[in-house]
Amino acid sequence: MVRKRVNVTGIAVLVFFLLLGVLIAIRYTGLGTNFPNPVGGAMQRVLSPLEQPILQVGNAIRDNTRALWDFTEVSRQNEELLKKVDQLTGDNLKLKTEILAGMRYNELDQGQFRSPTLDKFEKIGASVVNRNPTTWYRTLTLNRGSEDGVVANAPVIGDLGLIGKIVSVTPTTSEVLLILDGEGQVSALTRGSTGDGTFGIVQGNYKRGSRLTSEGNLQMLFRREDSINVGDLVLTSGMGGVYPKDVPIGQVKEIQLDPSGLLKTAYIQPLVNFDSLEEVYIVKMVGG
Amino acid sequence: MRYVLIAVMFLLSLILPGTLFHFWSWSGIKPDLLMLLTIYIAMHHRRPSGLIWGLVAGLLEDLYLGRYIGMYTLTLTVVASLSYWLAERWYRENFLLTTFMVFIVTSVGQILIAFLSLGAGLHWTLADIGRLVIGVSLFNAILVPLTYPWIHQSFVRGWLRYWPRYER
Repeated sequence: MVRKRVNVTGIAVLVFFLLLGVLIAIRYTGLGTNFPNPVGGAMQRVLSPLEQPILQVGNAIRDNTRALWDFTEVSRQNEELLKKVDQLTGDNLKLKTEILAGMRYNELDQGQFRSPTLDKFEKIGASVVNRNPTTWYRTLTLNRGSEDGVVANAPVIGDLGLIGKIVSVTPTTSEVLLILDGEGQVSALTRGSTGDGTFGIVQGNYKRGSRLTSEGNLQMLFRREDSINVGDLVLTSGMGGVYPKDVPIGQVKEIQLDPSGLLKTAYIQPLVNFDSLEEVYIVKMVGG
Repeated sequence: MRYVLIAVMFLLSLILPGTLFHFWSWSGIKPDLLMLLTIYIAMHHRRPSGLIWGLVAGLLEDLYLGRYIGMYTLTLTVVASLSYWLAERWYRENFLLTTFMVFIVTSVGQILIAFLSLGAGLHWTLADIGRLVIGVSLFNAILVPLTYPWIHQSFVRGWLRYWPRYER
């Protein structure tokens, strides 16, 4: 049997030069080098139109089946996102409320009345956080309390006029008794077209157990000879020490003679819409 | 037909790792399909034609990638040679042995690529090289049970059947 003779040196030399050639080729065709590659260019041109649809289909399949492959991850992400949505919705709502409140306070500050007496006092802006759930009283709960310097009997005003007074205070909230409530009485005066003032007491006629409309009603008693006309403005008189002077209360809507003939009752339309009240000012009278 | 099929398989082997296996990659590791195909071809050809197929496949990949010309040419030639040498000794009908062989040959091929990359001035850590070599080899080996039965059937009695010159 004749064995083939293997030229080991020749093979070693061949391998050496082959390896050397390859290494040199690799070195001179590396990244950043610019060598002519027409075959590669042609292959890229032919293959890239095929690659693109495959990638697109792959992307579509991956996107549409992501929930299946990464169910736990997607579920976790979903939970996180829902939490985030809740948080952002809350933040958004809070911001909107604050912006609206700010706008209303601004409106109030540049409102239709500007009492010189009122300007002397410090005012605290407050939001209505609750309305009295019972039918016994016409009260509102505000989000300011003794921690904010609110004290009992402090007057509360709205964007157009008088609202009521504070009747109870907790550290963070306070309760306002509206002027519509029969329990609250306001020393007031009317000013007619001549500018003369006629004093009286404005009283809500929302008595306990009485049946009234949601707007409530205000009334004021006068002597028969007092000059009162429909449309006269009713303002606080400043007497009694609770309410500052010249805060509008309402307008005389109707005048009725008392059956005795000695008195007449003026029914007053409040300027403030108590049903849609959201922001108010608490006036700090004490030490003002 | 045979050459057309092999050419199509070459092109698919160039396209699929960057597209289909981009979605099925495992920590960024994709199979080396052209190396797998070279192994299959070399297993079903005589040494010289197997080596030529390996050289052509490597050169095509180098040109397609457009950089480090010679890296895959040399690697796939060596892979073809090694595959032929092992296939001569191992029973190529045994799919389990073939899977193991593909793992071994791919590992050698990937190590050679890593070695040539270092020679080209690329900086790889030993851990990276180990991770890539084992990852690609495992991926290729996993593909064997899915692809080899079909390819083998085709090489033995299908469209890819290779007729040595002396049998024609």
